[in-house]
Amino acid sequence: MISMQLAVAGIAIGSVYALIALGIVLIYKASGVVNFAQGGYVMCGAYVTYALLQAGLSPFIAIPLGILLLGLLGSATEYFVLRPMLRAPVVAVMMVTLGILITMRGVVLFFYGSDTQPFPRVFPTGLMSFGGVMITSNYLIAATASVLLVVAFIIFYQRTTLGLMQRASADNNKAALAIGIHVSNQINLAWFLSSALAGFGGILLATLNGVHDSLADIGLIAFPVIVLGGLSSLGGALLAGILLGLLESFTNGMLAPTLEMWLRAHTKIYSVGAIQQVIPYAVLVLVLFGRPQGIFGKRGAERV
Amino acid sequence: MKRYLPYLLFIAALAITPFLDRFVQSLVYNFAIAAMAALAVNIMIGFAGQITFAAGALIGVGAYAGGLLGNAGLDVVSLLGAGLVTAAISVFIGLPALRLRGLYFAMSTLAAQFILEYLFKNVDPVTNGLSGLLIEPPKFFGIAIDTEFRTAIAALILLLLVWLACRNLTQSQLGRAFLVMRESEIVAKGMGINVPQTKFWCFALTGFLMGIAGAMLGFSTHIANPEAFGISLSVDYVAMMIIGGLGSLTGSLIGAAFITLMPEIIQRIGEHLHLGSRIFAVREIIFGALIMLFLIFEPRGIVALFSSLKGNNQTPGASTAK
Repeated sequence: MISMQLAVAGIAIGSVYALIALGIVLIYKASGVVNFAQGGYVMCGAYVTYALLQAGLSPFIAIPLGILLLGLLGSATEYFVLRPMLRAPVVAVMMVTLGILITMRGVVLFFYGSDTQPFPRVFPTGLMSFGGVMITSNYLIAATASVLLVVAFIIFYQRTTLGLMQRASADNNKAALAIGIHVSNQINLAWFLSSALAGFGGILLATLNGVHDSLADIGLIAFPVIVLGGLSSLGGALLAGILLGLLESFTNGMLAPTLEMWLRAHTKIYSVGAIQQVIPYAVLVLVLFGRPQGIFGKRGAERV
Repeated sequence: MKRYLPYLLFIAALAITPFLDRFVQSLVYNFAIAAMAALAVNIMIGFAGQITFAAGALIGVGAYAGGLLGNAGLDVVSLLGAGLVTAAISVFIGLPALRLRGLYFAMSTLAAQFILEYLFKNVDPVTNGLSGLLIEPPKFFGIAIDTEFRTAIAALILLLLVWLACRNLTQSQLGRAFLVMRESEIVAKGMGINVPQTKFWCFALTGFLMGIAGAMLGFSTHIANPEAFGISLSVDYVAMMIIGGLGSLTGSLIGAAFITLMPEIIQRIGEHLHLGSRIFAVREIIFGALIMLFLIFEPRGIVALFSSLKGNNQTPGASTAK
């Protein structure tokens, strides 16, 4: 029974990871840029919506508006920061997203400080029970919304014209230009969508744990997810996200207590600390050794 | 004249240090320590093209190793020991580089950073956990390094040695091999460079230097605290590279000076504007904005700004890594 309980919690948190990782994959596919700032957009999404709710808007307006504003922030980032760097080496672009992340965190700290703010209650609370497995309703809502969104995105990507244009510019931007696709606009759209997703993820996480600048760190957890899933695979991001969520939850619930007991008996170490945060990275290293292209990624040939 | 400039600057720094007040002396050694580590990180990222996010943790390994050896009563050997331990761990972290490159390698160093940070926090018998490892003032050649002045002098001398080592390294055959490897590993192989061996030396040598810098950091702060060696320290070093100039040794020094002095300047301005506890946030904003501005407008860093002021657009070795 306890393992069922852990599995449910793991899937719930893992699907939010998947949602955030999906945003990174979208941008990577469209422009080959690895966005280290994704966690920053998650954090901003939470704070912007928090500010809107504080200003007295109803959640039905504040949440969509927050997501929209985040999307616009992503667009603006692409236009003002990434576009001037089109010809820059990939590493420089990676670093510039790091700069975006640092700036965002600075702005949030400037206005709100580093105390956790309680997020207003926007979803109904309460416990639900499915055949004896308990889940709080905000976890359930977060998980359902994330999975639906991820699936919706995969369908959008595979089945709509706009999705086709996105895939075309990702696949070969020169060929896409030649057949009349405005590649820069497509990349801008990818940033819009990605940031909006991150913003929504931020709102979901804020309803679970409150608003804090450490929400930005979630972007770092998303990296094992995308590497495991293969950088360019949308379905891979979903599966890897849930996998890591499960791993984290089982480590926390089962491995950590056992390990702690053993360590107390045999060494002077009394606590394993936040081992569930390290396990994804250990798995990441192992996977990279075995399959450098990720579990679901395809290996590309290198150009000289 | 230009050849002797670094030595003249070094002698000038040594000569004025005794007359500075203790706070400025502490700035001097903070700068020297940051510069040592920045030189090592620049060799790794700027010259060899191996993007690392584990610099913070490696400096931490140096601080813990140096602290433990120094507390055990070892003389200057504690510095060398810290360097060797850190070099070993750096090589271990570098192992994935035998199969991975670019982004994927960066990811594996990110993983290493988090795992090491976790170990600092939790392996209590060695690191004393969250409360941090207290480090007694060490003795170098029998002289106790227990004042700001002596720490500053020791750090400056070490910086000169590290700088000489880095300069010679970049002009050696190995250093040239780093540059080729940065541009393309396939080309490097084609030219008969043993890529795994070159990577091994890259991680070992930079690890050694970061370890020494870390040990000096521990000796100067008298404590090794896990919080101090987090991902933000790694990011600080990457930022120093960008602001100073990637692939330029002078750039590392400028970047280190910048990072050491900027918080102090912001602090002064902040006191006038009554920013209070928001100073840290302002530091972060300026820092992030500078990284973005430099990358967009001058990816070669402050070094390139200087040389273009002199009407010389070519900075040797300062092309950005791939």
